[in-house]
Parts: sequence; C-alpha cells; structure tokens
Amino acid sequence: MDLYFWVFASMSVLAGLFTIAARDALPSAMGLLTVFIALAGLYLHLHAPLIAIFQVAIYAGAILILVVFVIMLLMAPGERLAAIQANVSYRGAGALLGLCLIGLIAVGTKGVSEIVSMKALPEGFGNPSMFGDLLFRDFLLHFEVVSVLLLVALIGGIYLCKKKL
Amino acid sequence: MDDWLIAIIKVVGIWVWVLLIAVVMTWVERRGAALIQDRPGPNRAGPWGLFQPLADGIKLFTKEEIIPTKAQKLLYIIGPLLFSVPAFSAYAVVPFGDKIVLGGKEIILQVSDVNIGFLYILAIGSMAVYGVILGGWGSNNKYSILGGLRSTAQMVSYEVPLGLALLGIVFVYGTFSLRDISLAQQGTFLGFLPNWGIFKQPLGFILFIVAAYAEANRVPFDLPEAESEIVSGYHTEYGSMRLGLYLFGEYVNLVTISGIIVALYFGSWHMPYIDLGAYLGPISWGIVSFCIFFLKVSFFLWMFVWVRWTLPRFRYDQVMGLGWRGLIPLALFNIFITALFIQLTV
Repeated sequence: MDLYFWVFASMSVLAGLFTIAARDALPSAMGLLTVFIALAGLYLHLHAPLIAIFQVAIYAGAILILVVFVIMLLMAPGERLAAIQANVSYRGAGALLGLCLIGLIAVGTKGVSEIVSMKALPEGFGNPSMFGDLLFRDFLLHFEVVSVLLLVALIGGIYLCKKKL
Repeated sequence: MDDWLIAIIKVVGIWVWVLLIAVVMTWVERRGAALIQDRPGPNRAGPWGLFQPLADGIKLFTKEEIIPTKAQKLLYIIGPLLFSVPAFSAYAVVPFGDKIVLGGKEIILQVSDVNIGFLYILAIGSMAVYGVILGGWGSNNKYSILGGLRSTAQMVSYEVPLGLALLGIVFVYGTFSLRDISLAQQGTFLGFLPNWGIFKQPLGFILFIVAAYAEANRVPFDLPEAESEIVSGYHTEYGSMRLGLYLFGEYVNLVTISGIIVALYFGSWHMPYIDLGAYLGPISWGIVSFCIFFLKVSFFLWMFVWVRWTLPRFRYDQVMGLGWRGLIPLALFNIFITALFIQLTV
C-alpha cells in the first residue's frame, strides 16, 4: 500500500465529486483546482516533475483562471443557474457524455496489466531537456500540426468577436 | 538524520528570515513614503518608529473579526489563506547564498535545488491569483468583484511576458536551476563586463521587472486595489488578521521577487570582478555570500518603495494595452534575438 498515492488519489476523487456536486459555480471551479493540484502531486510521485509543474502552471494557472473569469463576468455571487440545473435533457446529455468518457478510459486501460511490471526508468527521465528532445525531434510533426490547429482556433476566435474586420 | 535536521533548519531559518524582512518592509514602506513626500512618517514607537510593525501586528490580531452577513463564508475565509500560502512557499527554490562547509559537510544555501526551479516559481505565482479571486467573490461586494476581475485579467496577461522574459535567461545559461544560473554568473565576459544576467539580457531584465511589478500588484499596476476608484478592491470587506494576511503576503511576494531578480540578473551572491570565495574560509564565505545576496535584495526592495511613491497609477486600458501590445511583442523579439545570437556564436 502506497500511502502517498492513496492520499492524493482519494483527494482527487473527492474533489472531483465535489466539482460535479457543488451547486455554486465558483466553489465547483475550486473543486476542479483541487483535482488539478492532487493530480500534480501524483505526477510528482511518478517521477515526472515537469508534467506536474505544467499541470499546475497551465491547467490550474491559466485554463481554470479563464473559466473563473467567465464565471465572474456572467454571474453574481450566490446566483445559481437553477434552470440549467433542473433541465432534464442537460442531465441526460451529461450522463451520456460521462458514459462515453468511462468507455474511453476502459478502452485505454485495457492493456494496463502489461505495464504493471516495473521497468527501470531511462537516464534523465522527466528532465526538461528530454522533453525538448521528444517534442522537437521525435514528434516534431505532431507538435507543428497542433500549433497550426491552435493558430486556426486563434484566428477563428478573433474573427468571431470582431464585428468589423 | 543529519540531512533531515539540516533541511528543517534551512526551511525554518529562511522562512523566519523572509518574514522578518517582510515585517521590516512594512516600516520601510511607510518611512520611505514619508521621506519622498517630505514628512516625518511613523516615528513614535521605538527608535525611528522601528516598533511600528509590531504595533500594527498587535492591532490587527486584537481587532474583532467580522464576516459580512452576505459574504460567501467559506470562500471569504479561504481567500486570504490561498493568497498567503503560495507567497510563503515560493522562496523554496530561490538561493540565499553560496554554500557553507560544516564538519566536512557541504551545505548549499538554498532550500531545494531542483532542476525545474523557475518553472516552480511560475506555477506557484499563478496560484496566488486565486486568493484575490476568492476574496473578491466571497466578499459579495461590487467593488471587491471588480477588483477580483481586474486582477484575474491583469495577472493572466502579465504572466505571458514574465515567462517569455525568463525564457531568455534559460537560453543564455542553459538550465532551469537557479543555483546553476547563480554559479554561472561569476567572472567577466568581453573582458570588462561582469558575467551577470542583466548584461546578457538587458531587454529581458526590463521586461521581467515590469511584468513582476504587475504580478505583485504594485504601483503603477495596482489596479486590483485602486483605492480612489474601487475602494481597495478585493480586500475592501476584510478586517483584522485576514486583512493582515493579504497585506503581509504582498510584502513576502516582494522579497521573493527581489530574490529572483538578484539571482537571475544581478549575479546572485557574486561581487563584480572579485571572487571573494577564493580568499575566505568556507564558513565565513557562506556568511559573506548571504550578506552580499541580501544587500542586493534590499536595494530592489527599496526600489519597489521608490517606484510606488514616484509614479502615478495607470488607467486600466493602458495596463492591458501595455501588456499585450507592448511587452509581449518585445518579449518575443528578445527571444528571437537571443536565439539568433546563440545559434550564430555557439
């Protein structure tokens, strides 16, 4: 039994439950923040400090901040989106999407029994330089495709919000 | 066992030391303001008013704690904690001296020398904004929410040039570890310039210091507080020690930022031109390097005060315009030039 794993794993699961159970939007976002931080703790445990830092800096520090920003712009403290929360079709769609996600995870973990056997980590595992090598040498094409995709999304966003170009 | 003891002494020692500096900074801030505005300032409690922070602390601790009835209780209470905890934990990767040799054991003067040092600082720094958001939202006051909104937008915008400016330093020194960067700043280059970050990344330094002022919510970027328009913003509804945590966390942030500036751009514990470490014994060099480091840090702390009482506050659209239209293109340009230079020379 790995105590460190259980502390952070249960923390992330509980915080995840809180995220979907909370009635108010901002506390729910804070639940998501806790999930991110707990996951970062797990990554640290898996000898991947860079991923852990990215988890905190990018997911918690940038993406979630934008979510919170939208919440703060659109709602008032204590205000609840009761109409949406009571809407059955939204709930049904949520359940369907959730089931799809669980199915995806199940497919993804199918071969997990093969990787359970411990392997020695390669030299310098998790170092920033190793990451650089992976991204800019071995998977350069994938990296560039993703950056083009982001650029397209950026241009689309600007096009949508500008009334006059 | 010994390693644990040393680690605990280092953690507690540097923590107390940073807190002490932050306490003295509250006094320096008020005396500095008085000096610049040509008035005496707080000078009653103790010699030159030095006990004033103590008196302030007692006042904040003994005041009644009031939670506004319409506040969101949980968020209101967590806010100040979430603001001060990142502030207190960010110093862990910043060095505070070279090393000390005790009984044949080499102790580096840094809590933790991890090779992702300053990514850690960026990650922790981006956590601090949640304290401001929760404080503003939990207070359930329109000025507080405005302050929270402003700080969210401002911090997200200025994190980009901050990170890009730091990237220039990584290019030059080829490592993320603050200790390795500090060590690399010894000696001179081109024959006469000290090997410091500021001479290798002058534009990067300017970008970094501007973005750091914005991240710390200091004048001229203190839009989230702006007492003349939104009545102190996110901490309008706070009193007693909760307010104290917000105010105090800000000073702890200043110490950390000054430490980072010194470690990255101003030669850390090195004196220009002289390598004192070669002349002094291992223990005395440890103490001297600590003193040199904090002498430099105190200059930058004073600069925070100096700037605060010299410059007026920006308008909000000016802050955002400067961030997105001024700093980010300049930071990209800086990275481009640095990369080109490294490509051509190495």
